[in-house]
Amino acid sequence: MPALLVVLLREADGPAFTPFSINPGVILWTVVVFLLLLALLWKFGWPAILKSVEDREKRIQQQLDEAERARAEAARLLEEHKKTLGNARGEAQEIIARAQALAEKERQGILERARAEQEQLLERARKEIEEEKEKALLALRREAVDLSIAAASKVIEQNLDSAANRKLVVEYLASLEKRQ
Amino acid sequence: MTQAPPPDIGAMIFAHTSDSHVVELPFGLGEWHLPTGWRVVGIDVSPTKHVVFMGLAALLVFLTIRLAGRQVERRHQEGKAPRGFGAAIEAMVLFVRNDVAIANIGHGGEKFAPYILTLFFFILYCNLLGLFPWGATPTGNLAVTGALALMAFLTIEISGIVALGLKGYLTTIFFVPPGMTGALAALMLAIMTPIELIGKLVKPFALCLRLFANMTAGHFVILALLGLIFIFASWGVAVGSVAFVLFMMLLELLVAFLQAYIFALLTSVFIGMMRHEH
Repeated sequence: MPALLVVLLREADGPAFTPFSINPGVILWTVVVFLLLLALLWKFGWPAILKSVEDREKRIQQQLDEAERARAEAARLLEEHKKTLGNARGEAQEIIARAQALAEKERQGILERARAEQEQLLERARKEIEEEKEKALLALRREAVDLSIAAASKVIEQNLDSAANRKLVVEYLASLEKRQ
Repeated sequence: MTQAPPPDIGAMIFAHTSDSHVVELPFGLGEWHLPTGWRVVGIDVSPTKHVVFMGLAALLVFLTIRLAGRQVERRHQEGKAPRGFGAAIEAMVLFVRNDVAIANIGHGGEKFAPYILTLFFFILYCNLLGLFPWGATPTGNLAVTGALALMAFLTIEISGIVALGLKGYLTTIFFVPPGMTGALAALMLAIMTPIELIGKLVKPFALCLRLFANMTAGHFVILALLGLIFIFASWGVAVGSVAFVLFMMLLELLVAFLQAYIFALLTSVFIGMMRHEH
């Protein structure tokens, strides 16, 4: 401490510099230089760097947010597509099942109808055959009567009222019946 | 056997580390005798070697930041990340701004960031200039570190008044613990007020001395080691001394950054403490 005092005292009467001397002029210079530098940098120095950095920070944050949003959107779309795909698959199954059921029903219906038609046709054929048979019988019977009458007239021509003749006629008629 | 008297290494060391009105110019350009006798309101304000180097440091800081800023801005407008020189300066700026200023001052720290940044870079460049041959260390001058500490002190106290209001600020000097009244409160005031005042003054005083002592001590050690060569005048000592000096130089390089960082950091911490005093 005494050394420092000596230094300070010596400072008073002349520019004797030591590492420990405090020169008031240098204090003023320091304040001036520092404040000038501070003002210049405040105006022209720091904003350039800090603004760019802040802008960049903002931009990167924005991009991160956007990426996050895009990811969420993609996940949402994927989910949606999965759901849609699932729905479509279910629907397709349903459509196929319905088509199968319909086809089965149709097949059954067609079979039913075919069978009914066949039945009908058979019925009609049978009826027609019956009718034809009736008609044929009728015609035959008429023919038989005609033939009988013809035969009878023949017989009558030969010998009227003979027992043998009558028997002949009856036998003849019976033979016709059998032939039918 | 007559021997030449050993050189006065102590005087040499003092001459090398102290301020002067003469700037040694590099490469044999001789000396630059600065004008003397400038007076402002009775104070001798004639420039000295340290003032010149301080100005040089300020100029270099401004150029560094300006060039880096331009490059960062240009590449930013091109939508690219900075690189090279711009990226290096930007990384330092960001470190000081985010991890020193804002981290320690707390919210509202961005407003102080330009001051802390300027403080850091100015001190750093002043420290580094002393490591160049023919250089001088402005921060190895008590007047310089004292002025920086004085400005830090004013910044701390004024930011306290702004943040806390005059009434809130005065409680950082005249502090009565809550719930204490009467004689006890008066006693508390009588004890605590001087302590608080001393506390306020000690912080910048420590800032001033720490920076000065670190910068000066490093140079003392280096010069003393080099002085050994001339005292012993032997090659063996020279080899050892140079090896030690090299090591000390590297240490000084670290200390140059470290002390700039510490000054900026402590100033931020003090501002933060003051602003969040309740």
